[in-house]
Amino acid sequence: MATDESQFREAGRPDPDALLASAGRGKRGRLKIFLGMAPGVGKTYEMLTQGRRAQAEHGEVLVGVVETHGRRETEELLDGLEVMARRPLEHRGRLMMEFDLDAALALKPRLLLVDEYAHSNAPGSRHPKRWQDVEELLQAGIDVWTTLNVQHLESLVDVVWKITGVRQRETVPDSALSRADEIELIDITPTELRQRMEEGKVYVPETARLAAGNFFKPENLTALRELALRRAAQTVDDHLNQAMKRAGVEGPWAAGERILVLIGPDAMAGSLVRAGRRLSDMMMDAPWTVAYVERSGGAEPDPARGAHLAEALKLAEQLGGASVVLNGDDLVGAVLDYARRNNVTQIVVGKSHRKGWRAWFHRSLAPELLKAQNGAALHVITEVTTGPARPAIAGTPRTGSDWLAHLGAIAMVGVVIGLAELIDKRVENVNLAMLFMVSVLGAGLAFGLWPAVTAAALAAFAYNFFFLEPRLSFWIGHPADVLTFLVFFAVALTTGGLTGRIRDQAKATARRASAITALLAASRRLSAAARREDVASILAEQVSAATSGKVVVLLPVDGEIAPVAGAPELEALSTADMTAARWTWNRGEPAGAGTGTLPNAAWTFRPLQGVRARSGVVGFEPKALATAENERFALALLDQGAIAIERAELAAAAVDAEALRRSDRLRSALLNSVSHDLRTPLATVLGSATTLIDYGEGMRPAVRDDLLLSIREEAERLNRYVGDLLDMTKLEGGALVARRDWTDVRDVIASALSRVSRRLGQRRVHRDFPAELSLVRADAGLLEQVLVNILENAIAYSEDGALIEAAAYEDRGNVVISIEDEGRGIPTAELERVFEKFRRLEESIDRGGERGKGAGLGLAIAKGFVEAMGGRIAAASPIHDRPDGSKGGTRILISLRKDAVGAETKSSEP
Amino acid sequence: MTAFRPRILVIDDEPQIHRFLGPALDAAGYEPIRADDATTGLREIARKPPDAVVLDLGLPDMDGKEALAKARAFYDGPVIILSARDRETEKIDALDAGADDYVEKPFGVGELLARLRVALRHRLERQGSEPALQVGDVEIDLVNRRISKGGTTVKLSPKEYDLFACLAQGNGRVLTHKQILTAVWGPAHEHDVQYLRVFVGQLRQKLEDDPAEPKLIETEPGVGYRLGGLV
Repeated sequence: MATDESQFREAGRPDPDALLASAGRGKRGRLKIFLGMAPGVGKTYEMLTQGRRAQAEHGEVLVGVVETHGRRETEELLDGLEVMARRPLEHRGRLMMEFDLDAALALKPRLLLVDEYAHSNAPGSRHPKRWQDVEELLQAGIDVWTTLNVQHLESLVDVVWKITGVRQRETVPDSALSRADEIELIDITPTELRQRMEEGKVYVPETARLAAGNFFKPENLTALRELALRRAAQTVDDHLNQAMKRAGVEGPWAAGERILVLIGPDAMAGSLVRAGRRLSDMMMDAPWTVAYVERSGGAEPDPARGAHLAEALKLAEQLGGASVVLNGDDLVGAVLDYARRNNVTQIVVGKSHRKGWRAWFHRSLAPELLKAQNGAALHVITEVTTGPARPAIAGTPRTGSDWLAHLGAIAMVGVVIGLAELIDKRVENVNLAMLFMVSVLGAGLAFGLWPAVTAAALAAFAYNFFFLEPRLSFWIGHPADVLTFLVFFAVALTTGGLTGRIRDQAKATARRASAITALLAASRRLSAAARREDVASILAEQVSAATSGKVVVLLPVDGEIAPVAGAPELEALSTADMTAARWTWNRGEPAGAGTGTLPNAAWTFRPLQGVRARSGVVGFEPKALATAENERFALALLDQGAIAIERAELAAAAVDAEALRRSDRLRSALLNSVSHDLRTPLATVLGSATTLIDYGEGMRPAVRDDLLLSIREEAERLNRYVGDLLDMTKLEGGALVARRDWTDVRDVIASALSRVSRRLGQRRVHRDFPAELSLVRADAGLLEQVLVNILENAIAYSEDGALIEAAAYEDRGNVVISIEDEGRGIPTAELERVFEKFRRLEESIDRGGERGKGAGLGLAIAKGFVEAMGGRIAAASPIHDRPDGSKGGTRILISLRKDAVGAETKSSEP
Repeated sequence: MTAFRPRILVIDDEPQIHRFLGPALDAAGYEPIRADDATTGLREIARKPPDAVVLDLGLPDMDGKEALAKARAFYDGPVIILSARDRETEKIDALDAGADDYVEKPFGVGELLARLRVALRHRLERQGSEPALQVGDVEIDLVNRRISKGGTTVKLSPKEYDLFACLAQGNGRVLTHKQILTAVWGPAHEHDVQYLRVFVGQLRQKLEDDPAEPKLIETEPGVGYRLGGLV
């Protein structure tokens, strides 16, 4: 392949997408598939042989799982290869040994051998299918070799069924095969294989032996061999195409071929999808789209039909096709319109074998499309009517309400028969046919299309039976009455059908309208929610109401998703459920019950995909998504919820940003304040000193002394401020260690008072100490600083001549120090915040307030120190009436706990 | 003139500043007038215009710039700003709004008084504009647009001349980048500070004794330029 590439590279411009795709594969592991036509051709043998060679050459080869089926020659090959232990899994009392995916991911070998690509894992495994395990291994960068028989390919299931009469349950989507980087075809002739079978070299399970005889017929083997050869050739072709695209070589691509597959909600849907895929393969992977065509105002959604549809659409996805829903009254028009807009060149449509009156009513699309002549090739696939019984799901179980509707229609006709009988006896020459028509119309209006048809038929025959001569017989006497009967029958059928359809359409419209209304209401409520938790609970509530099932919403909390809301109530999720939820969160894909990943979980999880990122995960009860309508509605709600959560998150981020801006503003104010508080004393010191130097000689001694004094005072102020900053830093840095010694608080108060005495001015100090006071265990140095800070505050906020009162007393187990001033006090609302750091600063930001009284560190430091000593500090204000009549004064209380020993150690007045 | 003591109004809310500035101004031969906030200061200017104003930018009742703008409505005497280094933009705004000079806190009294003297002289000189200016050994003939250094004529480009004349007319006052750019290059170029850097460099090459250590054209970092050698 490498030589191919270099040859082509010169030729033209490489296709960027192809390059990107190959770049994306850089990290992916390489997948090699050993493809065979049937069991027993020697795929496992060949894989192991090559595996041994790879082990000898590069090492790091690990055997993940290999089924030797007891064949000696295969077992011998395992010798010298490392084989992983299997994981025991218990299911319904049976112990199954399964491939251990997690161990393989953890071991991360260079090359892993995994037998039987199409294997279905035991319930309880992470993925239902082994090919999904392999996909995860590849994503983890591990090279994988695996084996596959061609009859397990999804798109060939029908073909294989036709050839062999055996329907494969274990299938692999075609995309899983085309993902292979290498395919090696293990080919032997059918004769050889049969010979090997007779020699007992082919393992066939006991239970399948009967079918196997049928399966291994020479003509079957030849057909399967052809399929395998073609598949392998096609994959080689694909690889060549891709290489040519990468190298920018023009080639015979599917030039503009586009395939449209039309499916309805019936058992044929799956076959049609597979046919579409085969057609696409034939046309060099032409893009193909599966369209679900729905007659608007069709019958009520029927669970069985919905299941067909869901299965078919899922299959389309697996096989690599897109899907779309087309509806409208004019189906042919809608299809043709879509085909024209999307340049569809190939249309695949089914034609069912309906017989009798059902075929008469069923407007098949195929002939109408044929008539329309839009230029596209039309492929009509017919229903397979022979062969094994259809899966149970193909049967259309009538629901109770359906029966009731038909009974209702019959009852209506019955009532009319009675009524007609009464009228017929009393009145001459009445057109009773009109009366019957009323019953048909009524049934149509009340019960819809099919009950109306029932009523029409019944009414026609009842009319004939009871009222056309000869009465009480289906014979019709007068030739004119034959005409009457026929006309009546035709008119009844038509009007019944029409009214029924009108009624069905009206119901469908009403359903859609109510869905839209509910969606609108939900959207309104969702957009009104401010926090994402509110959004989550509203979302849970709405989705739960819409699907009438339990719902849980999981949002990321600290990087891990966790359930935050649920309806009708928040339920705990099991470990399996959380694993599935996490999977959905990480991959953005549905997981859990009813999906391809972790289907053993009790819930189905869907991602909440917002515009910018995934915002969470929603879990449903599996039955909540059973009908297409519920699912569509729930998904619409999820979209809205995701966006609402995103919006709430953005709003929260905006609030954070605002808080940050405010804290930025505070920081810059702090910087200003610190620079101001440091610079003002410095300016005075420098200014006074330079004044003295330059002009000191000519000055009066009093002026000179005042300048010297101001230098001293300002230097002290500076020192205090620097001390405050240091204390605060210590407190915040956690470097503060209180040395707690037996302390008499009266001594400390006295020394604090003497330290502030020079700044007291005309303020008076009143001391109120008891004669006896318990000692406390406190750091005298810190306590003194606390008291100095409080006293300075008292001085700063009270006028000259005011009284400052310092008291100490015992209160239960505490020694309390109280310092009161006659200042203007603190507003009650602010009381709680006076001990906050830079409190004053914030005030000045808010009101452009005053300055010159410090940055507001004093009380914050006091609180920090007191708490470091295990005490408490509180402020009370206002505490008394001031001379000017207003309320004022502040009291700061410091409470220090007496220790057990301290309580006994009293000290008398010093 | 011996009895003439220029009246200097000091507007500052810090009592400590008044405490040393009062005696210092008094001792230097000025009559200090104290105002503790902008309102009092403005009232004082209106009542009896002082010979110069020393204005602190951080006032409790009004922003310093606002006070300056109000004062400039009826007062054209010299105004010297007291400011802190971290309020650079306020300082520049104040100069643009018509302040004559600024002194950064903390300051030595000598520096403030020197600026005050320049401002007062500038004010006196402005009353009778001189046709020629002398700065050190550089002479500017405003009439003939000629500049000579040590007697010999220096050849300057027209823009270089305009720039130097602009600085010379500032007469030792700080001129902000914006003021110079507007005067020499026009209002459209008031942000093109790089022009100034280039032309000031060229002028220094031609006029300074030692261009590496300029004494004639002094840089006020981040603010503007002033003509030195006058203080």
